[in-house]
Order: sequence, then C-alpha cells, then structure tokens
Amino acid sequence: MRTLIVEDEQKVADFVARGLRAERFDVDVANDGLVGWEMASGNHYDLIILDLMLPGMNGTELLRRLRQQGGTVPVLVLTARDSVDDKVEHFEAGADDYLTKPFAFAELLMRVKALLRRPPTTRSQVLRVADLEVDRLAQQVKRAGKPIELTSKEYALLEYMVAHVGQVLSRTMIVEHVWGKSFENLTNIVDVYVRHLRTKVDDAFPTKLIRTVRGAGYSVGDAREP
Amino acid sequence: MNTRSLKFQLIAWYAGLLTVCFAALGVVTYFVLQNSLVGSLRENQLRRARQVAQLLGERLQQGTAAQVGEEIEARYAPALNGRLVRITRSDGAVLYLSSPPRDQTFDPAILPPPIWSGSQTETARQTPLLGSRKMLLTAHALQMPSGERYLIETGAPMDEVEADLRNWLVFLLAMLPLVAAITLGGGYLLVKRALISVDRITLSAERISSHNLSERLPVARTGDELERLSIALNRMIERLDAAFQQSRRFVADASHELRTPMTVLRGELENIVQQPELTPEWRDRLGSALEEVDRLAHIVEGLFAISRLDAGEAAAEWMPVDLAQLATSTADQMCLLAEDKNIGVTCTGVMGVWVEGDQARLKQVVVNLLDNAIKYTAPGGAVSMRVMAQNDHAVLEVEDNGIGIPSEARASVFDRFFRVDKARSRERGGAGLGLSIVKSICTAHHGRVEVKSAPGQGSLFRVELPLAPPASDPQRPTHHEHRPSQLS
Repeated sequence: MRTLIVEDEQKVADFVARGLRAERFDVDVANDGLVGWEMASGNHYDLIILDLMLPGMNGTELLRRLRQQGGTVPVLVLTARDSVDDKVEHFEAGADDYLTKPFAFAELLMRVKALLRRPPTTRSQVLRVADLEVDRLAQQVKRAGKPIELTSKEYALLEYMVAHVGQVLSRTMIVEHVWGKSFENLTNIVDVYVRHLRTKVDDAFPTKLIRTVRGAGYSVGDAREP
Repeated sequence: MNTRSLKFQLIAWYAGLLTVCFAALGVVTYFVLQNSLVGSLRENQLRRARQVAQLLGERLQQGTAAQVGEEIEARYAPALNGRLVRITRSDGAVLYLSSPPRDQTFDPAILPPPIWSGSQTETARQTPLLGSRKMLLTAHALQMPSGERYLIETGAPMDEVEADLRNWLVFLLAMLPLVAAITLGGGYLLVKRALISVDRITLSAERISSHNLSERLPVARTGDELERLSIALNRMIERLDAAFQQSRRFVADASHELRTPMTVLRGELENIVQQPELTPEWRDRLGSALEEVDRLAHIVEGLFAISRLDAGEAAAEWMPVDLAQLATSTADQMCLLAEDKNIGVTCTGVMGVWVEGDQARLKQVVVNLLDNAIKYTAPGGAVSMRVMAQNDHAVLEVEDNGIGIPSEARASVFDRFFRVDKARSRERGGAGLGLSIVKSICTAHHGRVEVKSAPGQGSLFRVELPLAPPASDPQRPTHHEHRPSQLS
C-alpha cells in the first residue's frame, strides 16, 4: 500500500511513517504543502495522510485541488483543531476521515485500514475468537458453546473489540465508538464495563481473552502478544 | 432605609436645607414683625403723650391746669381704652393718673415710678405687669418756660402685640412640618427623576456578562454626567472584552500548540512499547507515562472546549432537543457506572421538555453531572435526576446523598481546575474541568447552573435552560407523553 504523509512536524511524520512501515506500508513523506501537492498529483497513492497547517500550501487547499483534478484517493486529515466548523470544512473539501491530535497510533492505524478496506470485509455474521462466538445478527454471545447474557452496552463493547481482534483499542476509541463523543471525558466507564464483561466472558475460563494494555487500552485476542 | 444611598442623601440635604431656610425666614419675619408691632405701638403712645403734653402746656399757661385731668378723660378716655396716662411734675407730685382700666389688666397705682432721663425728651421702656405680661411705657418730657418740668407718660399693655406674635409663631411652627413634607415629597420626585437614567444604565450594565461583552450600553446624548458615565462604562466594557478575548485566545492557542508535542510524545512512547525486547517493568513504566499523556490530552481537550464555548461556539448546529429524553437515555447508558458502586440512580421526568441546543454538548452536561454525583457518593448511596419545565425554563436537577461540598468551596466548584479535596479527586482521576465545562455549556445555551450542598448530606446541581419556543418541528410530538421512567 503506497501512502503519502504530508506533515510539516518532522517528528509526527517520523513516528507515523515508522508505525506504518512496521505494518508493511510503503510510505513517502512531504514536509511542505507544495511538495506534497507535487507528489500527490504526480504519483499514484492508495492513501494520503494530510496535516492541515502546512507551509507552502495549506492542507485544505491541497485537498481541494486534488479533488478538482478528479483524484479519488482516500484522504485522512490530521488536525490540531477540533470544532464543528473545521469538520464541516474538511468534509466539504473532500476528506474521507479526520483525526484530532493527539491521537493514538492504534486509532490512526484503524482508520487507515478502514479507509483502505472500504467497504469492510469483516462484516461476517459470526465473529470468532478462540472459543468465543459473537453472532452479530442475533446479537448473541457464546463461549465454549454456552450462551452468555449481556446488556446492550456490554454487547456493543464486546462486538467492537472482537471485530478488531488483536488490535489495541484506546479507551477514547472505545468510548467514542460505543457511547459517543459526549462521553469522551468519561473513560472510566470503559474500565467498569470491561470489568463486567470479564466476569461474564473470561472468569469461568482458563484462557483470558480480554487483555489490558497499560497506557494504551484494551485488546481481545487469544495469542499472548509481547 | 439605606441612609448611605445617594437618593437618601440628596433628599435629606434638599429637604433639610429647604426646611432650615424656611425656619430662618420664619425667625427673621418674627423679629421684623415684633419690631414693627412694638414700634407702631410706641409711636402711637408717644403721639398720645405729645398731645397730652401740648394740652398740659396750654392749660398751664392759661392757669387752668387743675381741669386738665377731666379734659384728658373726656378726650382720650384712657381707662376705657385700657391705656395709662400719668403726669408727674419734677418735684414728684402726680398731677394726673388715669383710673384702672375696666378689664383690670393693670393697676396704675403700683406702676414703677417715672424715670427722669434728663436730656432726652422722649423715651420708651417696657415694664413687667402681673404674670408674664408687659406694658410699654412711653414718656414725653415737657419743659415750661418757667423752668418747671413735667413728665407725661402713656402706657399700653403689650398683650395684643404678643398675641399677634404668638399667632405668627404658631403659624410658622405649624407650617414647618408641612414644608418639610412638601420638600421631602418634591425632593423624592426630583431625585427619582434624576436617578431613573442611572437606573437604566445600571440595568443595561447588569445584562452584560463575560458572554455578551460585545454588547454596549445605550448612550443618552444629553451632554451631561450621565452621557459621560455611559461612555466611560462602554469604554471599560470594551477593555474587558479585549482582555477576555485575549485570555480565551491564549487558552485556545495554548491548547492548540500543545497538541502536536503531545502527539509526538504519545506516538514515540507507543512505538517503544511495541518493542518486543522490552522487559515487563519497562513496559509498565512506559504505560504509566502514556497514561499521563492521556490525562494531559484530556485536560487540553477540556480547556479547548471551554475556550470555544466561552467564545460563543457557533449555534448553527443547534436543534430542538428533548432534555428529558436526553437525560433518561444518558442515565440509562451510565447506570452500570453507578451499579458498580451499588448506587441507585432514579430518573424522573415528563418527556417533552424541549430546549434549543447542541445535543452532544447538552449530553455532556448530563454525563458530567451524573459522573460527578456518582464519583462523590459513597457506595450504597442514591443519585436522583429530575427534569421538568418550570415557567419558561427547562430544569435539570441532579441530586446525590454523597459527601457534599463545604460552604467555602461552593462558589468555586465551577472554576477551572478547582478541586474540593485535591488529593482525593486526583486519585479519582478528575482534572477539575468537568463542572466548568458544564457551566460553559449552560452559559453558551443562555442558561445557568447552580449548586446547593450540605457537607456530609449531599449536593444538588440545578441547570436551567430556556425552553425552546413552540416551533413546528416535525419530529416533535404534539402531545406530551407522561411517562416517568425509573432506572436503578
């Protein structure tokens, strides 16, 4: 996957590039709006990660030109601003998604994957992790063949984590996805729900599926990662 | 009555000065009147004395002085008129003394003896009578060519003069309270009229808070102190506005500038955590550092939200929101948080309490208040939330029976970074921004939030928002559904 990062903050560009390369992406970096524009219009990219505040040419302008030229490459906007006006402006200019700084790399990666995989391929009806089964249609959960009763929020949380098996999900990501943006300052709700989920899903079994990753969040998986 | 108020002082001075002037005028007129009345009585008496002296002089020359008494009686009838006439010769012999008056107001026989003044022809003196009454005695000296001297005295009691003066005094004293009352009333009206413009300026100034500093006071083009006052106030508001904007811009800029370094910090740390050769201890330490970055990010996020709200975030996203519906569904989503501490959450509300606003922001109000209530209530406690419409306000109340807020901290709970118990709150993960975000959201929605609390008994947070005007929104039900919902 060929990806272009247009970001004037060298350090941000560096760690994003490093992270993406670790995920086997082919990454180019432009530190300036004009350079970014030249690279984006002269090459074929599968994805562009675009900062808005850029020297040379600002991100919004770059995006507008790209879309005017008929480019359909998915664009993920990185912004240090967070307001309704800005969001509307980005989407009008043709951004496919946006991420507010500071973001967790896991979140960036998930969004990048979502943009590249659109439409999602994981919309299978039944998700399986080890002996855990999540039936999305019936909204039923079974472990080792035994049904587990979950409240609707518990179910939403488990489904979200199982759908992103193996990935570390930050509390902010979980809150925004399961509860909505108004709960963003209430990340302790995630801990409470995960604890409840554990008593129902993991306690009776020797293999624990829900893992806590300190400082990062939670992940679901049966393999013990480093 | 506020004795230090300008109104009171103005009226008091005005009425006081006018009353004092009136009293002074009264005193002056009293003495002028006294002077004039006594003067005219004296003139009358002196004229009579001169007439008698002329008569006596003529009769002495004619040698018929013996009949002069009868003649005086016939001409002037002093006893009948209540007057005194006495003629004394220089050797002390009394040639004539009028009889006591009919009303017995004085006895001529016991009057003090005449006073020979020598050079002066005419004199006047006052002499006391019985009681506190007085008589005006005037004397005319007659020098005969033969060398004999006679003193003709006429006298009149001063009763009438004193009665007139007394009447005047009574009149003055009676008028004094009336004058005081009139000046007080007039002064009140005048001062009120003058201060009404000041009141108007005060009312306008009252309406201006940190959220509508762009507004200005109306300036009356009267060219006087009031115009100067309103212009000066407007200039002050302008400076305040500039200062507020500057501080908001600073917070917004600072939180904006902090985002990029935080992104780098988080990215780098996350990257290191991914390294497989890391020992669990190092992983844990880096995890702890990441948690702090997370907290930093939350604080910056909160500050940014507050500065945006205070700057008057665009109301373009506003739409009718059923506060009761919003509160109930939010409480529903949060009930596990309460359940975890074995706290019962009751939510009472009649659906259809519509307000105009940003749904996500209003939800944040409910979330933050409930979170706060649950956080500061001991396990096994109770939290209740009520939504209702009162007059033209939508009211949201969140009450708990938790630790409460000490009275000295109550005024500050909505301040940024304020924490009642610093150690305890930090342990619970608060940054001290939750309630100030609530306040900023309420203010941005033209509402307000207040708190009542008794330490050890619990707190009650009350949010008031203006009810949405009855709009023709298709999503809005026309009938009000009565469905008190219960959650626990």
